[in-house]
Amino acid sequence: MTETINEKVSVVAVYNRDNKSFLPQRLKWQGRVYNISKLGYHHTQKLGRILHHIFSVTDGNLAFRLNLDTEVLSWTLEEVSDGLTN
Amino acid sequence: MDLPINKNRPLIMHVDLNSCFATVEQQANPLLRGKPVCVAPYTSGNGCVISPSMEAKRFGVKVGMTVREAKMLCPDAIILHPDPPKYRAVHLQFKTIFQDYSPHVTPKSIDEAVIDFTDVVGLHKRSLEDIGKEIKRRMRSEIGEWISCSIGIGTNRFLAKTAAGLVKPDGLVTITHENLMDVYSKLTLIDICGINTRYQARLNAYGVFSPLDFVSASLQKLQNQVFKSINGYYWYTRLRGWEIDAIDFGRKSYGQSYALHEFTNNPRELSRLLMKLTEKMGRRLRKAGYCASGIHVSCLYLDGTHWHMGRKVSQKLYTTSELFKKAQLLLNRQPEWKKVTHLAVSCYDLQDSNDNQLDLFETDMQKKRDLSNAMDSMNDRYG
Repeated sequence: MTETINEKVSVVAVYNRDNKSFLPQRLKWQGRVYNISKLGYHHTQKLGRILHHIFSVTDGNLAFRLNLDTEVLSWTLEEVSDGLTN
Repeated sequence: MDLPINKNRPLIMHVDLNSCFATVEQQANPLLRGKPVCVAPYTSGNGCVISPSMEAKRFGVKVGMTVREAKMLCPDAIILHPDPPKYRAVHLQFKTIFQDYSPHVTPKSIDEAVIDFTDVVGLHKRSLEDIGKEIKRRMRSEIGEWISCSIGIGTNRFLAKTAAGLVKPDGLVTITHENLMDVYSKLTLIDICGINTRYQARLNAYGVFSPLDFVSASLQKLQNQVFKSINGYYWYTRLRGWEIDAIDFGRKSYGQSYALHEFTNNPRELSRLLMKLTEKMGRRLRKAGYCASGIHVSCLYLDGTHWHMGRKVSQKLYTTSELFKKAQLLLNRQPEWKKVTHLAVSCYDLQDSNDNQLDLFETDMQKKRDLSNAMDSMNDRYG
């Protein structure tokens, strides 16, 4: 089941200069820390003139859709999914 | 005229992403992989499945079924809303990969493209099958490991598409003059892209019951009896592997449509929706540098009936307000205000928006256009 969350969250992300990747590694939401183990897909989206980076990631149990707003540099947790039927 | 089978080397490649939207969702969310997933604009029972995953297809779920039907066939199906920006991103990524092999890449839809190697075959010192395998590898490594595609290779677009549909998922099939008849012998008429039940009935009426009968039918029979039009010639050529479909028809119209979540016959609500659709259509029209002289509105009603009306106008329609006024006048001409399930608006007869004829009475036309462009810029900036 996918739940829409739309809450600002704290995220630790790492830029790796060797493979030129930028990936969220850890996410803190409602007091709990989730270690991100896999990036599913990354794409960008423009809302008006503002570029948003959308990271679809998982910690193995839950899948998260994280949105990085490049104008204000904030992270929003948009959706959480447990991969089960709705 | 007796046209032989095309015996040239197959140089057209058709690439089709398997279950595109559902596969992209499974790529983005690894927890969905291996599970039956359906993408539907509405997740309620009446929503229409637009992309079932390979796992859902194994349960018999097909494109066009309602969510209710999909759930009956596969109670564990996971129904997701579509995410068009994500699919567009994948489309752009695979288009970039294809353009590394040939400059002649024609996207046929968001999940299909044709690569024409005719002019560049000398640059590639290997077979198209090897290039196809490399494209598959690159799609997995550069887009995502769950992304798979079916590739077909043929002497024309029709045969390449037919080949791509033979093995799914993850197929790579080449149709040459040597195996062409063998491929046709394993297909039925409605397996052929472009032939559905009505054409099948028409072909049957003239003694054509299989693709082999179809390919052996004479040009005179197809053109003068079966299709009674130039289509007969097109099919005669296409089936023999000669290219007839490499035509860029160009943009003829812009349109928007919407399937209503709550069906209504309230004129105010329909008018509001028509305005929203017209604004979206108008922005695309203006961005492409066109104006239109024709407008068309169509409604699908709850009772299954359909109404549509199009009109050409003397004025060149450019701003949303100009387009909306004409569209609203058409909508008002419905014979009956029945509950609408699907509303669509489109404009046609496109002309270059800079090609203006000054109007004797409408002196502030340019002001209105400037205002419209300014509003579009504001919308682009602030979303």
